[in-house]
Amino acid sequence: MIALLHKTMSGQQLSLCMSSASFKAESAPQSTAYNSAKSKLSHNRAYSSLLVVLLATLLLSGLFFMSLSVFSVQGAFALTTNKATTKSNQTEGNGVIGGKETRLTWEGTVEDEQVFQLTLQLPEGSDLQSATTKVTVLSGLTREKIEATASVQGTQVVISFATPVDAQKLIRVEISGMKFPADGGSYTVEGTYTTEQGTQKLASSPEITIIPNTPVQALVNWLDAQPWVEAWNSNHFLGMFLKPQLIVSSVVMLFPGWLVCLAIVICAYPVAIVLGMGFALLKISKNPLLRALAVVYINLLRGTPFFLQIYILFFGLPMLNINLDTNLLGFIVVAINSSAYLSEIFRAGIQSIPQGQYEAASSLGMNRLQTMTFIIIPQTIRRVIPPLTSDFITSYKDTSLLSSVGVMELMMFAKNLTTSTGNMTPYMTAALFYLAITLPLIKVVGTIEKRMEQSETGKTAIVAASKTQALSKEGN
Amino acid sequence: MKSSLVTTVKKNALKGVAAVFMACALVGLMACSSSKQENAQQGTTSSSDSSYTLVTKGHLTVVAELGFQPFEYFEGNSTTPVGFDVDLITEIAKRLNLEVTYLPNQKFDTLVPTIKQGGKADVAIAGITITDERSQEVDFTTSYLDSNQSLVVKSGSTETEQTLNDASKKVVVQTGTSGEDWAKENLPKATIVSVDDVAAAMAGVQTGLYDAMVIDLPVASNLISTSYSDLTIAKEIPTGEQYGIVVSKDNPALTEAINKVLADMEKDGTMTALKTKWFGSNI
Repeated sequence: MIALLHKTMSGQQLSLCMSSASFKAESAPQSTAYNSAKSKLSHNRAYSSLLVVLLATLLLSGLFFMSLSVFSVQGAFALTTNKATTKSNQTEGNGVIGGKETRLTWEGTVEDEQVFQLTLQLPEGSDLQSATTKVTVLSGLTREKIEATASVQGTQVVISFATPVDAQKLIRVEISGMKFPADGGSYTVEGTYTTEQGTQKLASSPEITIIPNTPVQALVNWLDAQPWVEAWNSNHFLGMFLKPQLIVSSVVMLFPGWLVCLAIVICAYPVAIVLGMGFALLKISKNPLLRALAVVYINLLRGTPFFLQIYILFFGLPMLNINLDTNLLGFIVVAINSSAYLSEIFRAGIQSIPQGQYEAASSLGMNRLQTMTFIIIPQTIRRVIPPLTSDFITSYKDTSLLSSVGVMELMMFAKNLTTSTGNMTPYMTAALFYLAITLPLIKVVGTIEKRMEQSETGKTAIVAASKTQALSKEGN
Repeated sequence: MKSSLVTTVKKNALKGVAAVFMACALVGLMACSSSKQENAQQGTTSSSDSSYTLVTKGHLTVVAELGFQPFEYFEGNSTTPVGFDVDLITEIAKRLNLEVTYLPNQKFDTLVPTIKQGGKADVAIAGITITDERSQEVDFTTSYLDSNQSLVVKSGSTETEQTLNDASKKVVVQTGTSGEDWAKENLPKATIVSVDDVAAAMAGVQTGLYDAMVIDLPVASNLISTSYSDLTIAKEIPTGEQYGIVVSKDNPALTEAINKVLADMEKDGTMTALKTKWFGSNI
């Protein structure tokens, strides 16, 4: 009933008649409702005028109750408000920060009559000093060649059309370089429009949420004001690759991506180790069929680019109607790829154990399984730790390739940020995130290798150390 | 004694090597900068109109993202790009007595920075919408085509602008495009995934990896009618954006020269003919 009333409030004859038609429970199809209602009206004039009076009463009470709701009132406007949105100006998120330049887009459709002038009233405290306004009038998908001049008066933008905008046309106003009040809050865009009937109020736009300055943004603003930062950024290279403001905001913004990278590689690696060990054992097995299987698996994966494997998995599986989460797919492809490399590392490790160990084991009466589990594999593990760690580093770095298929990892965040800022600094921050893991690991590999050298060759390490000492003394 | 001699010699040798490296690097740098200057000078003096500079003499060097059918793309196995933009820039170059040279395919989001940085290409033409943000970095010629955005979904999908604005939905866009801007602003709750090429994005929508794609309407219509028949346009988004050719701010004379040619082409009907050839009608 209420919906019916709103329709009639637009003042359009058609909907009025249609509603009266439905009052009489007419079952005529919609397209003919108008005509049939019209004829009925002329026949039963008295009856229908009574209806109209009734309707009007209902309308008035409806208007009274619904006047608070924006939507219900909208029907009465010759120029409706479709939307008002703002472009995010937050580097570490997708919110809109007050006191910082953003772009407001307002859209409205001319329902009937002709619109000569449009005034948008922006929230009190908005800054329009450096704002530029672009007005587009569209008829369907086609641009109309209508000249519009926009002028700013305080927090108002007044747009005058050289030729009035006809019904059914869409008006889009883009105000770039404007600032919302710095305190944040929820705002609406109000305004007025002028038709031949005079000037009327626009419906309020949907609410726009503006966030007050975040601590990160405050730090960025502080950096903006520092003279040394300005001097630093005036250097083309430093400003492009190491802009202090962007380092601050990108560290915050890239962090979730970094966690995704770590999660993928940390989950994938144990799986890769198990798979790799399995294929390594297959490759050294005596059964030629099993050996062939392992060789095909390992060579196919090692012989093709990781990038290609990602594409095949990400676009291939969904084609087979297997729809998995992208992060899960990322985990799978990293695990499979690493397993091939790891199985080669394990195979080399196993084969590097001297034949004497096998002979010794068999002399103790161990079978092949026992020999492998208790003698060979434990020794292998020690030997493969350094190459295993190196491969872990590679896998960790390779997660960056997943950005190309939409996994929201470190590189993806860096890429997005670079796109929106036009600055390379996010990539440098991403490099820091990668190094935060890889550098300590590289150090670990070095230490383990040194220790192993010491334990396997006994005194060699000590001799080497004393040699370097002696050399450095002589050098001085 | 002997060993210490060896170390000093070694040290000196190292120093020497380092010095040679430094020298090489310096010479290299100088050579680079001087050759750049030469190029620029050559360009200035040799072009038909001496007021603008060109990267290579007698050539209009164009950079584009070449996966944007029907604006610039590769047909079949051909390695020369074709499309509306290609025809347009070729005609412009012809009227400026220049030859068109296309640089290898480059990601869309790198086009504006490439022109801004200079030295690689003279113009970028790749369905680039004229926006205030981009206009701060580079110059645009007058617009040569009006465009809109579209919401592409799988055929039979019931997704709408409203249902897509949800945290569980993934909307794919091409990195750095106005479609990306639109999606971020109008579907703030959805996860917006930016990818480098349109084909990957379309394939992703096809396979259900993403729920929808936001892309320029002419490209969506063309691709759906030629190769992605199982996709459909859920919504035509009237944005009325306009494409322009990107020229460096340091090269205003080139912008002016192209603007003049564009006006001529509009007047003599060449533009209408080109639009009819590629879009079937004068859009």
